[in-house]
Amino acid sequence: MDNSRKHNYFDLLFASVTAVASFTVIIFIIGIVAVLFNESSLAIGRFGVVNFLTSTVWDPVKGIFGAATTIYGTVVTTVFALLFSIPTAIGIAIFVTEIAPNFLKTPIGVAIELLAAIPSIIYGMWGLFTLAPIMSRYVEPALKASIGKLPYLGFLFQGNPMGIDLLTASSILAIMIIPFTASIARDSFNLTPSVVKESAYAIGATRWEVVKNVVLPYSKLGIFGGAALSLGRALGETMAVAFVLGNNHRIATSLLDAASTITVSLANEFTEADTDLYLSSLYYLALILFVMSFVILAVSKYFLLKAERKYSR
Amino acid sequence: MNLETKRKAESFIALTLSGLAAAVGLFWLVYILGDVLINGIGALKPSLFLNDPVPAGVEGGGLRNAFIGQLMITGAATLIGVPIGVLGGTFLAEYGRGSRTARAISVLSDITVSVPALVVGAFVWAIVVRPLHHFSGWAGALALSIIMIPIVLRTTEDMLSLVPWTLREAAFALGAPYYKVIIQIVYRGAATGILTGILLSMARVAGEAAPLLFTSFNNNFFSGNMNGPIASLTVTIFQYAMGPYKSWHEQAWGAAFVITLFILTLTIVGRVIIWWRYKR
Repeated sequence: MDNSRKHNYFDLLFASVTAVASFTVIIFIIGIVAVLFNESSLAIGRFGVVNFLTSTVWDPVKGIFGAATTIYGTVVTTVFALLFSIPTAIGIAIFVTEIAPNFLKTPIGVAIELLAAIPSIIYGMWGLFTLAPIMSRYVEPALKASIGKLPYLGFLFQGNPMGIDLLTASSILAIMIIPFTASIARDSFNLTPSVVKESAYAIGATRWEVVKNVVLPYSKLGIFGGAALSLGRALGETMAVAFVLGNNHRIATSLLDAASTITVSLANEFTEADTDLYLSSLYYLALILFVMSFVILAVSKYFLLKAERKYSR
Repeated sequence: MNLETKRKAESFIALTLSGLAAAVGLFWLVYILGDVLINGIGALKPSLFLNDPVPAGVEGGGLRNAFIGQLMITGAATLIGVPIGVLGGTFLAEYGRGSRTARAISVLSDITVSVPALVVGAFVWAIVVRPLHHFSGWAGALALSIIMIPIVLRTTEDMLSLVPWTLREAAFALGAPYYKVIIQIVYRGAATGILTGILLSMARVAGEAAPLLFTSFNNNFFSGNMNGPIASLTVTIFQYAMGPYKSWHEQAWGAAFVITLFILTLTIVGRVIIWWRYKR
């Protein structure tokens, strides 16, 4: 029985090696949180939590740092990106699953997924060289002359249309996250049982009524999960916005103003941080970003799992 | 207008709008790719691949250092990330199958895939770059491999789970120990799928610039030393595109074209393999 003991030994060894390999994921997550926390302890001690989150001062010269401006920039770009992208993404999903003839379904689906594969640095560069000039020359003056004159929405479009601003950054983010939402929405639409759709058609529903009253309610968990996933991705996106946002630490009320996000300040200032407190504050920002995106991605995963469990039965 | 016409009109409008949405999505794809293609092709000269950069503002020069550096960093990241990812995925799909721990790791990996890459760069800076007092290609490779591991791990898990359980039982019945069953039967059955996962994960990390900013940094000279700062295409694109010189912009477009082509090719090859292997 010597042979079988050898086999048992190898089996145990292989099992342990694979187990250790899979635990690296947990080790990295714990490691990242621990390192970020440790590195930012100086800034946490100096500025506290509430004070840091609400302070709009970011002054490397005087050594006073607050996160409000970058968090504001992060939230505004992300929210506008979602506003632009989600309707488009759902439209794409409806088109691909319910309207497109069969021979078009795969090519369009693949094309949308290729959009997801383009690296973010390409989006950023394209934004800087192509989209920003178009925005500053045509789109932004037009918006300023039309919506900028309206009483309640006017404040959104004030200032000089430079092209390097919140609006351009949000547009690029929106283009970038369309495919994430679209492909998840498409997958959840496809989970709607055809029997249910056919019964709706049988009682005389139009195609839109089937989509609106059967498919959309059926897949709302999946769509919500997909939107949350895009939100998480957009929050942590660096290169696509770093080119076109300007790194300006202030609360910009107009979408035509330059601003900064957590990722943009990190990318621009990290290697230039000359004092321990400066670096520690940047790590504090990174910690806030990590926690924000981790929580949002976890929520997204929760909804996607719930959707999967509900319909795979 | 009677109710029926109204409903039909409503349906027509809504469906047209979603068709327009699809057109908008495709429009951006064509616009971006077209722009990269048109501007990139013009910048593709032999000198781009064969020469090293010249001092800022001087015409000419190329990005040989960045092409080689990118290959070295991505290659090293693959060497670190793939074994860990494949073995980890093996645990989730085989030894840990169905267990609470395996489920938890699987979900955590899915989350980690989308975690900000920049934060990973800051993490590696604190644990590798600062203690060693210098930027290095290895640090960049480590950062990329941290992003790569969860991707490879999840695809491996999925692909191994697709191998029918009866196949394993047949091998068990012949008296094979589990590790032999996994290596000789299960891996063989899932090889194409795992390879695809590796290709797609390489495509993903090859385009990452954010984690390299603080780790492998950049280098204006040719360097094959993974122990020192090393140039990469993505960081060079960032530096050149933000820079003031026309010749820099042109080279940035050239680099962007090459990297986009590389990534889209990997992605398409990956999709074709999956389609060919599993949908037929």
